Amino acid sequence: MRPPTPRGLAIAPLLGICALVLALVAFPLVVDSPYALHIMILLFLTVVQGAAWNVVGGYAGQYSVGHSAYFGLGAYATIILLQYRHVAPWWGLWPAVFLAMAVAVIIGSITFRLRGPYFVLASIAVAEIFRLVALNWTSVTNGAEGILLSEIPPLQIGGRTITDFISKVPFYYAVLALAVLTVAANWAVKHSKLGYYLQAIREDQDAAHSLGIALPVYKNIALVISVFFTAWAGAFYGLYVGFIDPATVLTVEVSVQFVLICIIGGIGTIAGPILGAIVLVPLSEALRANLLSDLLFRLGVVSEGTPTGVFLKDNLAHAHALIYGILVVLVILFMPDGVLGFVRRLLARRRPPTQALSAGSEMKGSA
Amino acid sequence: MAAVLEVSHVSKFFGGLAANSDVSFTVDEGIILGLIGPNGAGKTTLFNCITGFYPPSRGDVLFRGHRVNGLTPDKVCKLGMARTWQKVRPLAKMTVLDNVIVGALARTNKLSVASEIAMQQLRNVRMDRRAGHLAGGLPIGERKKLEVARVLATQPKLLLLDEVMGGLNPAESEEIIQLILEIKKRRITQIVIEHDMKAIMRISDRIVVLNSGEKLAEGLPREIGSNQQVIAAYLGEAFA
Repeated sequence: MRPPTPRGLAIAPLLGICALVLALVAFPLVVDSPYALHIMILLFLTVVQGAAWNVVGGYAGQYSVGHSAYFGLGAYATIILLQYRHVAPWWGLWPAVFLAMAVAVIIGSITFRLRGPYFVLASIAVAEIFRLVALNWTSVTNGAEGILLSEIPPLQIGGRTITDFISKVPFYYAVLALAVLTVAANWAVKHSKLGYYLQAIREDQDAAHSLGIALPVYKNIALVISVFFTAWAGAFYGLYVGFIDPATVLTVEVSVQFVLICIIGGIGTIAGPILGAIVLVPLSEALRANLLSDLLFRLGVVSEGTPTGVFLKDNLAHAHALIYGILVVLVILFMPDGVLGFVRRLLARRRPPTQALSAGSEMKGSA
Repeated sequence: MAAVLEVSHVSKFFGGLAANSDVSFTVDEGIILGLIGPNGAGKTTLFNCITGFYPPSRGDVLFRGHRVNGLTPDKVCKLGMARTWQKVRPLAKMTVLDNVIVGALARTNKLSVASEIAMQQLRNVRMDRRAGHLAGGLPIGERKKLEVARVLATQPKLLLLDEVMGGLNPAESEEIIQLILEIKKRRITQIVIEHDMKAIMRISDRIVVLNSGEKLAEGLPREIGSNQQVIAAYLGEAFA
């Protein structure tokens, strides 16, 4: 039986987390391969995306498939302010993020009246409206051509001036900090009244309502927290890549990415988005870099010279969506609770049943 | 005694169908009011009208002198009126304790306080051993008790119980009856929908009978038991 006190962080996992964060802080000092840093930056950004979506999708159970709207808004507002108004991003980010949050409240107040699949459809529709606006409002957004960032002004921190944004180190630390913050926010939400209320809403809206939970208020709080981090992620993405257009930040694929990270890792858990990112980022990089066809050649499944080999080499890199789709089907079939749930079940099976039961609830607390 | 709840000429229409029509009664503080009637009589609809899930089409609901029709269920709950569900609604992927904590958070923002209230409520329904179990895995008898513990954690002054004995075996029903009587001792007013006539006759101080959405009769249990109209509504004219 669990003691009747709210769960706290045990010492051992806390030390583990500190060690991991320290290792990640030290990583650029040890590894100076730009490609490795690039992968890590993508990984952190993906963690932010997943953990941000997790607040509204995982805890509150409101499956938004429209987070590209807020991701794109954060990116566009920051980049437009920088490129056309010469507002340094460390200032421009704030109006961008607050704009996205304000928009989220308006959209949430309308769409949260809907439940289940109707809410999902509405969220897709809203994101599509944002994409079309960005595409057609050329005087502000430069339409389909997108915006190419010319340069980021030097940043002064204390006595140091950072001018070197080509090296990935400043981005590495900024995105790492954001990822840690987002995951910490997940933890804080989960272990608060808000977290209990969001989970109650996820489990049964009518029951939650009858227990004194103002549904629209709490759903909107969840969305605004989620959008805060989503807009940050969008802004960092735009600044890092140096180019945005509607096709890269405002499509439904971007929205689906937010959801996939959590589905694959484990929805409504703290470790889920991290695991999801660890699976998805290397996978999509491997596909992009043609590692998959190389592997097939190396294994001798097909040889590079044959027409099949040429076909695979040309097409596997573009098979992102296909592989994603297959992955999601496999996860839903075999790991309905994501990678995290799968791992937990494996661990539970290795212990005697009574112990496994209590260990299960402990892990529910710490994960 | 003061009236805790006053239902005044409440009607609820769904299209042309009158699920409740012109229902009026008052509930005095501290009593158990039995609400009975054949299937489809409009008992659950009336609960929904009282607790804010449906706005009544006509009429008023007054709770401790305040008009509550038009308020949302969460506000009604905060005012001190709470209901359970005929079809239980456990928060399945949360633990039993967490379910009750959600209820307790209606009165406090502190998790530690809510947790203590929740544990106390679980002890009251003798389910403290189950605190760490997932609510979705409980058998029906315990789900019903969890429902009661959770709603009590919101510290209601008026409790509306919608068929909490439905689907239970005699031993479990007896446990619920004892629970309802204990709740009465704590001066919490209760409205109880129940199909088990023996149980409702035993626990109720007053009974209101609904039939086809209208109030058919109201009175003390023994008056209702010998009311010809009520017998006719339940068993058909031949038995009246």
